[in-house]
Amino acid sequence: MLKRTEFLSKNYGVEGGWLIEPYVKSGGYQSAKRALGMTREQVVAEAKAAHIRGRGGAGFDCGTKWSFMPPPGDKPHYLVVNADEGEPGTFKDRTIMEMNPHALIEGCIIGAYAIGAHAAYIYVRDELHLSKARLWGAIHEAREKGYLGERPFGQSWAMQVYVHTGAGAYICGEETALLNSLEGRRGEPRIKPPFPAQYGAFGMPTTVNNVETIAIMPTVFKVGGDAFSRESALHDLGDGGARLFGVSGHVKRPGVYEAAVGLTLRELIYDLGGGILDDRPLLGVIPGGSSCPIMLEEEIVNVEGDERFAPYNGKSVLDLPMGVDTYRRTGNMLGTCCAIVLNDSVDPVRAAQNLARFYRHESCGQCTPCREGCGWIERLFDKVVAGEATLEELNQVHQVASNIMGNTICAFGDGAATPMLAFVRKFRPQFEEYVRRGEAERNARRAALGSGDHGRSLASEAR
Amino acid sequence: MPSFKLDELEIPFEPGDTVIQAAHRVGVDIPHYCWHPGLSVAANCRMCLVEVAPPPGRPAMMLDVLRQDPTTGEYVPAKKPKLQPACQLKAAEGMDVRSQSSPHVAEARGAVQEMLLLNHPVDCPICDQAGECRLQDYWLEHQGTRKRMRDEVIHKPKAQVFGPTIVYDAERCIICTRCVRFCEEVAKDPVLDVRERGNLNEIVVSPGRQLDHGYTLMTEFVCPVGALTAVDFRFKARVWFLRSVRSVCQGCATGCNAFLDYDPRNQTLYRHRPRENLQVNQYWMCDHGMLDYRRAHEDRFVSAYVGEEEVTLEAGVNAAASALREVEPERLAVVLSAQHSNEDNFALLTLARDYLGTGQLFITNKPHGEADGILRHADKNPNTLGVEQLCGTTPPRPLQDLLAAIEAGQITHVLALSSVAPCEVEALQRLKRLVLITPFDGPLAGYADVLLPAATWAESTGTFVNFKGMAQESERAIRPEADARPAWKLIGALGRALGYAIDWQRLSDVRLAMATDPGAVVAPPPSARMAPVGAAE
Repeated sequence: MLKRTEFLSKNYGVEGGWLIEPYVKSGGYQSAKRALGMTREQVVAEAKAAHIRGRGGAGFDCGTKWSFMPPPGDKPHYLVVNADEGEPGTFKDRTIMEMNPHALIEGCIIGAYAIGAHAAYIYVRDELHLSKARLWGAIHEAREKGYLGERPFGQSWAMQVYVHTGAGAYICGEETALLNSLEGRRGEPRIKPPFPAQYGAFGMPTTVNNVETIAIMPTVFKVGGDAFSRESALHDLGDGGARLFGVSGHVKRPGVYEAAVGLTLRELIYDLGGGILDDRPLLGVIPGGSSCPIMLEEEIVNVEGDERFAPYNGKSVLDLPMGVDTYRRTGNMLGTCCAIVLNDSVDPVRAAQNLARFYRHESCGQCTPCREGCGWIERLFDKVVAGEATLEELNQVHQVASNIMGNTICAFGDGAATPMLAFVRKFRPQFEEYVRRGEAERNARRAALGSGDHGRSLASEAR
Repeated sequence: MPSFKLDELEIPFEPGDTVIQAAHRVGVDIPHYCWHPGLSVAANCRMCLVEVAPPPGRPAMMLDVLRQDPTTGEYVPAKKPKLQPACQLKAAEGMDVRSQSSPHVAEARGAVQEMLLLNHPVDCPICDQAGECRLQDYWLEHQGTRKRMRDEVIHKPKAQVFGPTIVYDAERCIICTRCVRFCEEVAKDPVLDVRERGNLNEIVVSPGRQLDHGYTLMTEFVCPVGALTAVDFRFKARVWFLRSVRSVCQGCATGCNAFLDYDPRNQTLYRHRPRENLQVNQYWMCDHGMLDYRRAHEDRFVSAYVGEEEVTLEAGVNAAASALREVEPERLAVVLSAQHSNEDNFALLTLARDYLGTGQLFITNKPHGEADGILRHADKNPNTLGVEQLCGTTPPRPLQDLLAAIEAGQITHVLALSSVAPCEVEALQRLKRLVLITPFDGPLAGYADVLLPAATWAESTGTFVNFKGMAQESERAIRPEADARPAWKLIGALGRALGYAIDWQRLSDVRLAMATDPGAVVAPPPSARMAPVGAAE
């Protein structure tokens, strides 16, 4: 169900909309003021009522995450905002930081108060220079107004927000790798437990939240947690509110659109995205960043034993509301809600090769299966594309990917394996076609040269 | 004690233990590369993955994977349980852990093993680690299949000199980070780290630095594969020809437990490496101690000397006896040695007190050096405390006192064990006779009138008492070279040449005599688990 909203994107595209004046004029910083007047438990309860599922891709309920933080003790707590938006196809957090930075700063005050922190670090991907500049600008403005500092809004809750520049690696978007990077260490994911809520930034209790998760918090406290949750068509599934949807690739109007949760992919592509580029048939959609398995229009929803899914059973997955649980239950993954649309001009084999290259390049190399497996899959796809692979080698892809799956410290391994498994499963004929064509070419060359052995040695030289 | 189930075994554990720790303690090995009992948990090799049965009534966490129908070639979506690394998994009462009994674990370990060897050069024939390499062992146990990737492997830097002692081969490296963690956590010098990403990862030394702290050889020792090699051992021996004995390091009073590796065919020592003893050295040794074995072959005396002249052992013993016979007991001093075992010193003490009748007892030792607060002790002698205990209520006086007594003309003859000295010893030239029993050349040797060649610690079994008062046995590795004999044996022969009824033929004879002396401690046989070459952590 398409329901456009403007909680975050009201000032998008407005000149100067990122400054504090228009933000305050439209009720900005009133939520933070209200939150600081509540108890910590009340703030967490309000966030829980809003059913904000983490917007970074994992979809964990934000209020619940906040409630994991230990009660205030002798250790300082930290709020860390993950602004290392690096998932291919995802570009929604950037719009918030560039065009509505004060929502994030205000959200930081609320979030920090909820978890007992006096400092928030926003870890921004290095390449996002404008985001960093706008965030720093917003921080300075908020400090001048006294919203940040020793006594924000006259309340005795000292609060500071800092922007930290990332050092450029996809893996630093993984929350514990981000914490290592923030501390100046090598950006490698940590083993869990201990979780950040026990042992996070600088060894202190820490909550890591996505930019959008934090930036939506002023809205939650403005309209009320439950009321905001009911914006969503999936309120009953515990997936509330409105969020930013991105759409890119082969659509006529790519971009970031804000809408209530419960939008379908078809609405995102055809209503918001303006339809497929050149009006060609759809090949598939990667719904929420490259780590999600690709979805095809002909896939049919079939969830048994849950009447909440009854309205969707028998329909195309494109008509399933985009929610964390609706996707999970149907074997898909919502991710960051930023869809990459591929029309039939795309060669799925080359697309898979492209993704494999990305994951090989970005694997931190800590765990054996991911370090070696991602490289192996890339090689196999390279050979498939070059027409040098055998059927036996094509059949290794799913074996390697299945053995990366779940066997690594962080979710990168799963995120690399999942799309590979989806591509080979859903586009097996195309992969086989490459292998067959390659074999035929080799055979033709061999025949032309007359000698089988000589032909083989030439073929291997060609590699 | 609480316990959990590992396959069919009940494993007891202490609160806070991980599964692999508890299993390791009772001698059950869960395959692993990156885990080391003395280092922090990295959980990066993923070899120790185990399956844990979910608590009753709770579903197991399952993951979506893909299989292939072998007949049709069709993909079949499948589920597999989420496995846990045993090195990170905290043991809990009643836990049901499946290691060897789970097909999912077998598949995961086989895959890890295959991936570790994917870009490995497999240059075992020229690799020093061959024969004690985890990759080889686990290939046999967990993989056993041919390599499926037919393409050129990834090439990385080879023969990188990390420092004076260590050479690194990035192609053999499995990035387990044991060496990195060792430098940071034990040696307290974080000089190593990982650079690059993914399968281009390699270990590097900090810019502007060398791997040159006091424990560099331990990085090679903790390396489970052939990536780090010791300059000292590189290309010297194949480990399957070596044998090991349980030795005690002679470098200082810490008394680190060690394995002394030697080749029985040429009676040569090749390597000294730590042996686990949590009360003494845990799992570690310093570079000095690990290289100290070389001394056993250097600056040796392997035949008897009278003056400058090389003589038979019998002639040497007789010359020594006649030198000692010519002096009255009050002008004779006997020098015990903190460098020698309790058995050697007991023999000398017995000869001095019970037969020669002298009360002039002194002790010599190496000068003190630096301590590092990790393992190295300032006292560079392995048995200072042992000699003191032997002498009981009348402790031996320091060598400086002997030199003063010689200057004063009170002492004319000296019978000394070992050639070391803590100070200048020019006063010895005033002696009429110095009889020296020593394996090595040293400050005292230049003044010896009669010199008898003793066996080194590597050539004889003996008890050494470390600074904590722990009596530990060091076993004989090689046969004594040429005419060299254990010092207690030479002392016995000397006693007999002097006409005394000393009948020590075997070490057990000396130890039987020691049993009657409350100060003479004999170490129990080494209790730490005996590991053959290469099987230690």
